[in-house]
Amino acid sequence: MSLLVQTVGAFFAVLALSVTIGVPKKYLLYSGVTGAAGWFLYLAMMEAGLREFLAMFLATVVVALASNIFARILKAPVSIYLIPGILPLVPGLGMYRTVYYIINQDNSMAGYYFSNTMQIAGMIALAIFFIDTFFRMVKRK
Amino acid sequence: MRQDMNYMLLAETALLAGEIMLVSGAETYRVEDTAGRILKTSGLERAEAFVVSTGIFVTLSDPQINPISMVRRVGEKNTNLGNISETNEISRRYCSGQISLEEAYRGICEIVDRKRYPEWLRSLCTILSTFFFCIILGGGVMESVLSMINGAFIVFWDNALRRARTKTFLQNVLSSLFIACFSTILAAFSGNRLDSEPMIAGSIMPLLPGVAITNAIRDTLQGDYVSGGGRIIEAFVIALSIAVGIGAGLALGDMMAGGIGI
Repeated sequence: MSLLVQTVGAFFAVLALSVTIGVPKKYLLYSGVTGAAGWFLYLAMMEAGLREFLAMFLATVVVALASNIFARILKAPVSIYLIPGILPLVPGLGMYRTVYYIINQDNSMAGYYFSNTMQIAGMIALAIFFIDTFFRMVKRK
Repeated sequence: MRQDMNYMLLAETALLAGEIMLVSGAETYRVEDTAGRILKTSGLERAEAFVVSTGIFVTLSDPQINPISMVRRVGEKNTNLGNISETNEISRRYCSGQISLEEAYRGICEIVDRKRYPEWLRSLCTILSTFFFCIILGGGVMESVLSMINGAFIVFWDNALRRARTKTFLQNVLSSLFIACFSTILAAFSGNRLDSEPMIAGSIMPLLPGVAITNAIRDTLQGDYVSGGGRIIEAFVIALSIAVGIGAGLALGDMMAGGIGI
């Protein structure tokens, strides 16, 4: 139940932000679906007991994969789906906690959340690298 | 080399297309590619475009013409993914010969002043997004509804600072300061029945540097290290401005809540 609510929430959150960054009407639904799929997978894998950075990596792989496929089918730049799609995965919570613990002078917790935030950002980068490289190789053949 | 071509207009078209894409948040290599393709239709010996994240350089030269070079400095970004795909589409149609250079130039000019969505709808969507992000970060209904006031802070500062020079930085600092301060006070007022964490973390989501991070990754992968590095710094500065705002807001909120004696 909570998983369903969260996925629907992610869909509308991505949809709303897509409008603010000017995604054209005909692609809105696809960017929303991409974002919701990424968040759903992340949550499902976290519940299945996967490590956070692995869940983040796989979720971003799916987002990047879906973005590249949509881009080829609908003939629009990958960014239209990729940028809204990764928005729920960008580590805002980790960033907030880092600052929160700095303000409350708990340096070990602040350090923990800082490295956690950087790891997640690194995983997102790695996943996009991975899928982009794959599609570039396919294109060349 | 084509005798009938207006090279000045060609260079101007490439420059304008590049400028729109760069301002709207396209990856640098895509901008370079698009401007380069437009210039190549001239058939001149040298037709080059060089793009970094803050500027565009185009040049056309051939033994038979006076060389043309143009530079355009690009400042504040304003993410608009629709503009990128439309400019891309026009340049593709021009390069495949479906439309003339004049038509392409006019088409690109029209993109500049087109509003994709009305301003009120964009504001409303910013506010709605804070509601949904609060939910997915574990907030309850009450917290999510109150988060929409945080969304309104973002919209307010976005409008209030429209003419400011360092708009993005100031907007991020001030919005996140208000968000953190307001949420902390609300949580204190409710006797900690409301959790300020999903409210703050959800509300800063629209400010986070998602575009800068994505473009930093993709530019670096393309071997465009100047732009990739620049965008990584851009992402860090945005993150830092939000962090500074939250830090100040948390401290201020604690002080004010303590001062009222709750």
